[in-house]
Amino acid sequence: MNLPLRLDHGFFLLMAAGILIFTVVASPSSWYLYPPLLVLLGIVLRVTRAWNDRVFYILCAGQPLVIALSAAQGWAGLFIMWMLAGIVLATLGMLVSGRDWQSYAAFCGATLVIAAGIDASNHVLLPLVIMGGLTSLFVAVQTIREYQFRKRYTGANP
Amino acid sequence: MRLRRCAQGISLLVILLLVLALILDSMAILLAGSTLLFALAALALSFDNRFRQMVASLMTNRTLERTMVRKGATVRVTTQIAVQVPAHMEVKIAENLPSGLVVQDGETGTVFEAVPAAPPQRQERKVTYRVTPVVHGSMHVSGVSLTARDLFFENSIDLSSEPFRGPVLFVQPRGLFEPSSQRVTAETREIEKMSVLSGFGIRALREYYTGDDLRRIDWKLTAKHDKLFVREYSGVMSLPPLIIVDLPWRRAPHSAQDFDRMVAAVAGMAEYSVKMFQYVSVLLISGPNILQYMGEEKDLQRCMSVLREWMHPVERTVHFYRMPDRSDLRRQIRTLESRLEEARDPSSQKFFDSLKKQYLRSLQAQQIPAFTAQLIRTLSPLMADECYVFSLFFGDASHLRQLIRQAKAMKIRVHVRMPGTAGSSAGPEYQSRLGADTLEAFA
Repeated sequence: MNLPLRLDHGFFLLMAAGILIFTVVASPSSWYLYPPLLVLLGIVLRVTRAWNDRVFYILCAGQPLVIALSAAQGWAGLFIMWMLAGIVLATLGMLVSGRDWQSYAAFCGATLVIAAGIDASNHVLLPLVIMGGLTSLFVAVQTIREYQFRKRYTGANP
Repeated sequence: MRLRRCAQGISLLVILLLVLALILDSMAILLAGSTLLFALAALALSFDNRFRQMVASLMTNRTLERTMVRKGATVRVTTQIAVQVPAHMEVKIAENLPSGLVVQDGETGTVFEAVPAAPPQRQERKVTYRVTPVVHGSMHVSGVSLTARDLFFENSIDLSSEPFRGPVLFVQPRGLFEPSSQRVTAETREIEKMSVLSGFGIRALREYYTGDDLRRIDWKLTAKHDKLFVREYSGVMSLPPLIIVDLPWRRAPHSAQDFDRMVAAVAGMAEYSVKMFQYVSVLLISGPNILQYMGEEKDLQRCMSVLREWMHPVERTVHFYRMPDRSDLRRQIRTLESRLEEARDPSSQKFFDSLKKQYLRSLQAQQIPAFTAQLIRTLSPLMADECYVFSLFFGDASHLRQLIRQAKAMKIRVHVRMPGTAGSSAGPEYQSRLGADTLEAFA
C-alpha cells in the first residue's frame, strides 16, 4: 500500500471532519469550544514539527478536545482519542507496516472496552479503583518478568 | 525500565487528569486519562518486548591476542557483536571489564543508531581495544552491558551469563615492587634482561618449570597462590658509554672557552672509559654530518690522537634548520585537529584547517633524512645502553633531536652535556623537548 507522506495530517483532517459531523448531527451545547481547540491542536502540530518531544505537546494540546467532546458524548471523545493516537503514531513513524496498523486497531479495540466500562458507570470512583488495581497488577507482573529476565541473562543460577 | 522525559511528562498528565476526574467526578476527564494511561502501558509493554527480543538476538564473540601474559603486558582484544536492532531504538553495547584491566587504547563499546520504521535488522560491529592487566591471577571480561532507549523508555542490562563472558586471561605476576632505578656499581649496571651474571634486583616472577634453581623459589608468592613461583633476577652488564661529540660549525661564532671545556670533558670521559671498561666508542658529528666513528678502541693513545685530530670547529656540508621529524608533524596535526574541534569561530576554523592541510602536505613529502639513516646504521650494531652527547648547543638543534630519538628507540639512555652558559638558560622543559634523560653542564 502506498501511504501518503503526511499521515498525521490525514488523521487531523479526519478528526476535524468527525467534529463537524458530530456538531451538525448532535448539536451539542458546547459546540463553540471545538473550533478553537481544534485550531490550538493544529498550531501545536505546526509549531512543534521540529521538536524532539513533540508527542508530549501534541497529547497535551489534544486532551482538552477529547475532554470537551467526551463531556458532550463519550463515544465522540473516544473517536477524538483514536485520531489523536493516530496523529502521534504517524508522527513517530510507527504506522508503516501492516503489523503497525494491527497494533493500532488493537489499541482502538481496547480503548473501546475501557470507554464502554466508563460509560456503564455512574461515578468516577469505581472505575478509578478498578483501573488502579489493574495498573498495580500490571506493574507487579512486569516487575516479576523483569526479575526473571535479568536472572536469566546476568548469569545467576536458575 | 526507566521513563524518559517524554514518558515522564505523559505520566504527569495522566495523574493530573485522573485526580481532576476524581475531584470533579467527571467521566469525560476519566475517559481522557484512562485511555492515555492505557496507551502508556501499551508503549511500555511494546518497548519491553522489543528489548527482550533484542537481548535474545545478541551474540558476542571475543578473542584475545594471547591468553597468558605477564602483568603489565598489553593484550589486544577483539569482540564481534551481532544484534538485531529494532526500529526507533538506539542501542549502546559496551564491554564490562574487570577492575584489574586497564584500557590502553581503542573503544570498548559501540552505538547502534536508531533507524526509522523498518523491520528489525541484524547488524554486526567489531570492537577492538588493548588492555593492560595491573593485577595477576586469572581474569576475564565479565560480559557486556547493553543499554537501549527510544523516545519514551530506557533500559539497561549487564549480560554476564556464559555466552557473553570472555575467554580467561591468565596474568602471571611480575616484580613491580623492585626499585625502578638501576643498581650501578663502579663497573657494572643492572639491566632488564637475562644474562649469565645476575644482579640483586628482581626483574620478574614466573611459574616454576622443571629444572629451575630451587633457591630462586619465592615462597611467599608460592604460599599465596598454592603454586610454585620463581624469581628472575635482573642481569648485569659491563658496557662503556658511547661518547657522541657534536663539533661546532667553523663559520658560526662560538666561545673558545666553552669549546676547550668540552674537549677536556670528552678527553676525560674517554680516558675513564678505557680505564674502567677497557675500551671506548666515540662518534664525532657536526650538525647532521657524521665525521668519524671510533668503535671499541682499546688503545688510549690512539684514542687521544684521534680526538686531537678531530676536536676543532669543522665545515658542515649539510645543515638542518628547524627540521621536524615525521612524528613531530603527526603530533602537530593531532594538536591542530583538537584545536579545530574546539574552535567555534569560522575564521579560526578556516585557519586551523588550512594549517592542517599544509602539515599533511609536508608529512606526505617528508622523507627520512640521510643523517637519520646513517645514525641507525651506526648505532644498531653497537653494544651500549648509555650515551653521552657533548655539544655547544649553538644554532639549530634539530640534528640532536634526531640523534636522541634514534638512541631512545634503541633503548639507549641519553645524557646531554652542554656549556654552563647554555645550560643556565635550559630548564626541564628544554630537556623534555630534547627527549634526553639528563641534561647537565660540563665543568
